[in-house]
Amino acid sequence: MVQEKRILYEHLDVPNINTFDVYRQHEGYTRFEKAIAEYQPDDITKMVMDSGLKGRGGAGFSTGLKWSFVPKDIEPRYLCCNADESEPGTFSNRYVLEKNPHLLIEGILICCYAMGIETTYVYIRGEFTLGKKMLDAALKEAYERGYLGENVHGTGLNINIYTHPGAGAYICGEETGLIESLEGKRGQPRNKPPFPAVEGVFMKPTVVQNVETLCNLPFIVGNGVEWYTQMGPTYGDGRFDPPKPDPNTGTKLYCISGDVNEPGVYELELGLTCTELIEVAGGLRGEEVKAVIPGGSSAPILTHYELDTRLDFTSLTLAKSMLGSGGIIVMNETRNIVDCLLNIMKFYAHESCGQCTPCRWGTPWVRDIVQRIADGDGRQTTITRPKFGVTESGRWGNTGETEEIYEDLDLLESVANNIANVDTMTWNTICVFGIAVSWPAVSYMRKFRPEFEAAIRESKLVTLPVAEATVPPEENYAYQQRFIPKEFSELQETTED
Amino acid sequence: MAFIKLNDLEIEVEDGTNIVEAAKQHGIEVPHYCYHPGLSRPANCRMCLIETYAPPPGAPPGTPAVPGRQLATGCTTSVRSAPPERKLDEKYDAIVQTDSPRVIKAREDILEFLLVHHPLDCPVCDQAGECDLQDFSYRHGHDKSRYIEVKNVPPKKDLGPDVLLYSTRCIVCTRCIRFCDEVSGSGELGLINRGSHDEIDIPRSHEGTPIQLLDNKLAGNVVDICPVGALISKDFLFKSRPWFMEKANSICSGCSVGCNVTVEYKTDGLYRIKPRFHADINQHWMCDDGRLGYHYVNSDDRLQLPLKKIGGEQTTTQWSDALTLITEKLSEVEADDIVVIGSAQGTNEDNYVLQQFAHDVLKTTQLGLFGQQPGEEHKFPQFTIEADKNPNTAGARTILGSANGNVVLEGDTLWEKVAGAKVVYLVSGVPDRALEDTEREALEKVEFLIVQDVLPSEVTELADVVLPGTTFAEKDGTFTNSTGWVQRIRKAIDPPGEAQVDWEITQQLAKQLDGEIDYHFAGEIANAIAENVEGYGDATHQNIGNTGIKLA
Ligand SMILES: Cc1cc2nc3c(=O)[nH]c(=O)nc-3n(C[C@H](O)[C@H](O)[C@H](O)COP(=O)(O)O)c2cc1C
Ligand code: SF4
Ligand code: SF4
Ligand code: SF4
Repeated sequence: MVQEKRILYEHLDVPNINTFDVYRQHEGYTRFEKAIAEYQPDDITKMVMDSGLKGRGGAGFSTGLKWSFVPKDIEPRYLCCNADESEPGTFSNRYVLEKNPHLLIEGILICCYAMGIETTYVYIRGEFTLGKKMLDAALKEAYERGYLGENVHGTGLNINIYTHPGAGAYICGEETGLIESLEGKRGQPRNKPPFPAVEGVFMKPTVVQNVETLCNLPFIVGNGVEWYTQMGPTYGDGRFDPPKPDPNTGTKLYCISGDVNEPGVYELELGLTCTELIEVAGGLRGEEVKAVIPGGSSAPILTHYELDTRLDFTSLTLAKSMLGSGGIIVMNETRNIVDCLLNIMKFYAHESCGQCTPCRWGTPWVRDIVQRIADGDGRQTTITRPKFGVTESGRWGNTGETEEIYEDLDLLESVANNIANVDTMTWNTICVFGIAVSWPAVSYMRKFRPEFEAAIRESKLVTLPVAEATVPPEENYAYQQRFIPKEFSELQETTED
Repeated sequence: MAFIKLNDLEIEVEDGTNIVEAAKQHGIEVPHYCYHPGLSRPANCRMCLIETYAPPPGAPPGTPAVPGRQLATGCTTSVRSAPPERKLDEKYDAIVQTDSPRVIKAREDILEFLLVHHPLDCPVCDQAGECDLQDFSYRHGHDKSRYIEVKNVPPKKDLGPDVLLYSTRCIVCTRCIRFCDEVSGSGELGLINRGSHDEIDIPRSHEGTPIQLLDNKLAGNVVDICPVGALISKDFLFKSRPWFMEKANSICSGCSVGCNVTVEYKTDGLYRIKPRFHADINQHWMCDDGRLGYHYVNSDDRLQLPLKKIGGEQTTTQWSDALTLITEKLSEVEADDIVVIGSAQGTNEDNYVLQQFAHDVLKTTQLGLFGQQPGEEHKFPQFTIEADKNPNTAGARTILGSANGNVVLEGDTLWEKVAGAKVVYLVSGVPDRALEDTEREALEKVEFLIVQDVLPSEVTELADVVLPGTTFAEKDGTFTNSTGWVQRIRKAIDPPGEAQVDWEITQQLAKQLDGEIDYHFAGEIANAIAENVEGYGDATHQNIGNTGIKLA
């Protein structure tokens, strides 16, 4: 049985850990003190780079690499903490804000020290009123104790943190949408490049980092890179030859919901399989697993054939899905995939910021098609493809075969792919919200096509038994091209032989 | 200069040119909606997608460039000259493809999306015939729609004095919003709602009553830049199909900025005025005073026949009669008792002939300059409406004073002179000119007042003879704006009734008095001005051309 590995959440349940004094008793701010006492800012950047830390907000981009893009000669630079956590199925940042806000502040302090940043904005999801209250209270304490403000802790550093509540738009979690919203404008993502690291808040270099990413920093600094990299697998990146180390180090706050017995946030080392994770969360509720969403609602779905996929950045990418925000939703045999897709598409159609053409008008279109299928109005036609040849009666005539065409399924796939193409991984949209729409649409439809066809054929939602509902592995586009990564150490051994 | 490969063409363009413009310079259309050369570039319509080439990532130098994985937006892809080691295929600064299969497919897809909620009410839409959505759909789109769901039907909105919004037709390109933010700086427009329910609107109370109307003096420009029939001018609504109108390139006569405009007309009058690009004067814009100020041209009250005063009443008369009456009067008085007044509304040509008439025929050097009373100046971040409401003050002043010994009187000195004169020949052409008390008193003292004008006004009321002249839309000629640009206006429509071009009237008077003034068309006068007026040496008919010429 896999055990939780609590690092970020270690003291989460300590009574009053949200207060400065209790946090202080649990090594609070000692890592920041260590950082300024023992390391130069560049050392910290190097440690973060060496730790292999990848962003926990969704994109999984190497944090150290992102920091290295920030031009050091432009002042001021900003840090934006992304606490807009609104990906359906994701709720890990929220606990940090509500229960252990000082940990986030310490992470921010370390980042500010490393990057020479004086101003940090924490953009908090509007609905997180308690989280904002707790963080504001913690900030007040930190200011009072001299860990924030002018001349922090006698070091000559000036660091200020401001909290800013969102107004309830999912798209303000996208880093440039967040920045626009922070600047007081409509939350509409910007065209990239330039990336925020070069031109972000008020057109100045800006590091945008998820809450969880920042909370990792105290532990990397406190316990060292070596200690950190021992957690989680480092793969030989299968996409390059000779293999480059592709780290999936550290722990992840997996948010497990859906049909499990004990849903909640579990901190685990990266690299566990879906099956293991379900076990950690108290096992499946129900008879069998029908599907698993591995990384928030934008992530392509996994079928029960794919449960051996490891839930880390590399493995999921190679399985044509993503770890995303780590929001894992488990579905048992009672769930209807068409209905699930409808639920998700309603969300995306509502949350599209409306800035660019394909997403503004494509997303509601996809929703409407799924809605129609779910309502029993999906279109199906029987056609005979003309083919000239000798017929059974020995004459020349049409010998084409009759085919069932599920018009609406083709339309669904085509419209979704026109927003963002799942196969070529290209999009005509401004931001990757587009792919967050077409990924679920196309993957649900392709992997659970029998259930979509049944809904159209029988003019109502039909929940098929798991085995029937799922496209078998040999017909599953993702399974076919699936690539199981090997650990880097294994690869090195084989090359040495 | 950047050397680029565009499809099969090898072309050179200025550094910093974007692909939409680069292609346009070489006759290749890259369809676009949100991009406008005078505004910022949000790249939100995604219509101008192109394929850009780059060497494969990590490839050794010298590897041939291949198409990038993602398409790029042409409007935000600017090219500039690259250092030798960064040249593509050893010589190009950029390689782009605007007609590859991927690009063509992407355009079809975007157009399909643009039309899913579109009402396609072209038969009753003002924009039809000059609509980018129609044109690009025709050239780059699908021929049928796969959309069978319910369409959004957002409401039609009244945004301001001249602007209506047919929200259903809006493609949310945000040009109108950016115009109000960047050019007029007044920021009345914004988006309300989100996603497919995005709507352009002005600020409104919760109940929907407008808090701020779209009533800035540049508001009409949003109608021009709206690529579809969403923003519509009330002034033009349902008046004509664009293809039924003729167009004449002209200059706005509303103030001394001298915006380049296109006058659109049919035989029965003017229909609308739209700005025409001039890099140094008005860019892409014009103000609403100029845009909507043309109605007096179409007025039923226009002077169509000469008038003469008999027993205090003005009655219509024949041209021959009026001209004889005037020349008789002129030959009765001494040159010193005559004042000839030109108009800042008239062309350089009108004023030149007038000046010649005064100086050479009447032998008077006492000239005056008349025009519209000054209004207010309005400054916007990227545009200024000037206080001088005449198009040609600078030109008229110089040209009237160009002959030896001529003095051009203005303001109080002019009216003092007028008060003491026996005959005054006042060329006005100023619509709605009200008179100040001093002006009226002076004119009332004149024994014999000749007024050449386009509409009955307080000035014509006082006249003994009224001659019907012409507006800017009915004649050829040139105006000199406040910054010294000499620009051409062109005749669009015929003058009403028997009204005549102003310089022709003056020339006839001269002929009756045996003067030797004999021009046949405005260009001839322009050349005479170039020859004889200081500073106008370069402003020959040929040189002025379409873009005008700036005086040194
Ligand atoms: C549509 C969309 C929504 C997103 N929502 C969030 C979010 O709620 N929280 C978050 O941390 N990152 C979110 N992201 C990812 C951010 O754009 C960005 O990658 C992240 O904040 C970077 O921080 P990290 O490197 O620490 O992960 C979202 C991205 C997209 C495209
Ligand atoms: S893809 Fe969607 S969410 Fe992203 S900018 Fe375009 S409309 Fe907005
Ligand atoms: S905006 Fe264009 S396409 Fe739409 S109704 Fe008007 S003319 Fe037709
Ligand atoms: S009203 Fe016209 S200019 Fe404004 S956003 Fe809509 S389509 Fe664009």
